[in-house]
Amino acid sequence: MADAPIATPSVARRRPRRVRPSAAGVAAGLCGLLIAPAHSTARDAPGRAQDPAASGTIVGRVVVERPLPPIPRRPSVDDLGMPRPSDVPDRYRSVVYLETAPQGAFEQPPPGQAVMRQHNETFEPHVLAVTVGTVVAFPNLDHVYHNVFSLSKAARFDLGRYAAGRSKSVRMEHPGIVRVFCDIHSHMSAFILVFSHPFFAVTGPSGVYRLAGVPPGTYHVIAWNEGVASEPQPVTVRPGDQVTLDFVLR
Amino acid sequence: MTSKPPAWRVSSSLVLMCALAVSPAAADVLPSHPFTMFGGRLVVGGLASVSVGSHDPGYFNYTDYEHDTLRLLRLAMRAAFSLGDRVSLLGELRTENWDTFQPYALYLRVRPWRGRAIDIQAGRIPPVFGAFSRRPYASDNFLIGLPLAYQYLTSLRADALPASADDLIRMRGRGWLSRFPIGSHAAAHGLPLVAAFRWDTGVEVRLGDDPVSLGAAVTTGTLSDPRVRDNNHGKQVSARLEVRPVVGLVLGVSAARGPFVARAASSALPPGVSARGLDQQAFGADAEYSRGYWLVRSEVLISRWRVPAVAPPLVTAPLDATSVFAEGRYRIRPGLYVAGRVDHLGFSDVTGTAGRESWDAPVTRVEVGGGYSVRRNVLVKVAFQHDSRDTRRYDAAAIVAAELSFWF
Repeated sequence: MADAPIATPSVARRRPRRVRPSAAGVAAGLCGLLIAPAHSTARDAPGRAQDPAASGTIVGRVVVERPLPPIPRRPSVDDLGMPRPSDVPDRYRSVVYLETAPQGAFEQPPPGQAVMRQHNETFEPHVLAVTVGTVVAFPNLDHVYHNVFSLSKAARFDLGRYAAGRSKSVRMEHPGIVRVFCDIHSHMSAFILVFSHPFFAVTGPSGVYRLAGVPPGTYHVIAWNEGVASEPQPVTVRPGDQVTLDFVLR
Repeated sequence: MTSKPPAWRVSSSLVLMCALAVSPAAADVLPSHPFTMFGGRLVVGGLASVSVGSHDPGYFNYTDYEHDTLRLLRLAMRAAFSLGDRVSLLGELRTENWDTFQPYALYLRVRPWRGRAIDIQAGRIPPVFGAFSRRPYASDNFLIGLPLAYQYLTSLRADALPASADDLIRMRGRGWLSRFPIGSHAAAHGLPLVAAFRWDTGVEVRLGDDPVSLGAAVTTGTLSDPRVRDNNHGKQVSARLEVRPVVGLVLGVSAARGPFVARAASSALPPGVSARGLDQQAFGADAEYSRGYWLVRSEVLISRWRVPAVAPPLVTAPLDATSVFAEGRYRIRPGLYVAGRVDHLGFSDVTGTAGRESWDAPVTRVEVGGGYSVRRNVLVKVAFQHDSRDTRRYDAAAIVAAELSFWF
């Protein structure tokens, strides 16, 4: 498999169009991580980067050093036999994002669409990053029921039970971290990071990322994996430049 | 043996668990997934629940003389140790109301052929009979109380037998502490139709998985009296056929038969009265359907015990007990649901000196309530339960209960 960054949802693939004046990076983490509203460095950045030559790119790799074993099933002591095998989610994919985003008069980005599949009792992808307003579809590709739900502050929803071939969607209205679970299969879990700006990328399997279309300016960049965020790393982006920024998460 | 449930311990445990569940630091304190060790070979999960309820003067919710399901602290650790991709060792250690931790489950699971859905389990194993029997824990139960068939104590005992129909009628509605003349003379609790919280010891096989599976087991005890050590040289045979014709619909039928009378009682039978054929037979049918935010279940269980005819007025016919319950849950918003259960347990008639009467007092239970998930794996439930029984004393109870449960 090519070690390319995951094609993040359509919103992320688009070139940046708009960042809210007070854009927060990720609002609240599962463990109480709070990211301050954007000010400072972003305030000086130009607001729009329609022209590739006028924007820069941040690339690099996120190395997750802490062990992330597959989330196990609860011991199936009640069952009369072996549980059905399930896929193993890739927990080493991380999200890299600008803590603060350029400020300016930007138009509202059109709502994007993203998909988180339920397949072999696993959410695919395990990590999804979208912008506010994105509609995330949850198709069930298994031959058993699933019941997708989240009790996160950023998005509280319960899609009920639905069978193979059916799909239900949720519009992500607020920035933050959305923990997604299945009410029937407790080992199924996933993350959706909802941003109020489009400057984020999901890494590939080996941690490589590419954050393109960043307006020139000085920013702080954060790498996030499974509830653990790096210290914000400062970076200065110049028009047409590519800046390398690596992270190690322990 | 006859001490009352330590309600203060249960209450203080509830306060402690509440504090843990709602405190801001709880996310750091409470694990959200099972632990793994030895490279993932050992998986350890846990369950904790504490329930408090108003007074239950009629012992409607007792599983023995000391344990009330509505006033209970239960802590359990469950583990699965993989010995390869086809063999694993599973077990559960549990304490109730701070009793000593005991192994409620300990068995070996083997899948002899890779690619074939045939599993063999041996040891202290989960029951194949019925549907509710494999989900009695707080996290799986919509409400706080249990279905009558899986919890309510009839007056029958394995170690003490009635000599006559009058003995049975005298004990109507006294399953929490009954006494009979043959066998043990000590007062003790009776048997439920199916004991939900004690598992039997033996071997079981499951063939198939989805959409059809068949489970069969040979065990030491019976549905009503699961055992680790044999007490009558008899084995129970039980089986269950489960069909899932469409996604969301589960249909099952179950049957079981095994000798339930312990040697303590059979050896006390008068000369000429045989202990052969003193069996518990049971039949069950269950259905579950779920869709969207609805989940409904129903189960019918019929249990038949044969007791010896020793003294007049003779008990000549088998003692039947029939349980029917239906329950449903509806999620009204994320993390919040309402639920209800209607449940009835009836008994066949015997003819005593004073006339015909059911051998135990019929019971009807209605329970309504709801649950709120404070976190994904922390659930608070409240319920109102009304029990009624056809007896002169303690014929009804209205109970309010709350429960907090946590699992990982």
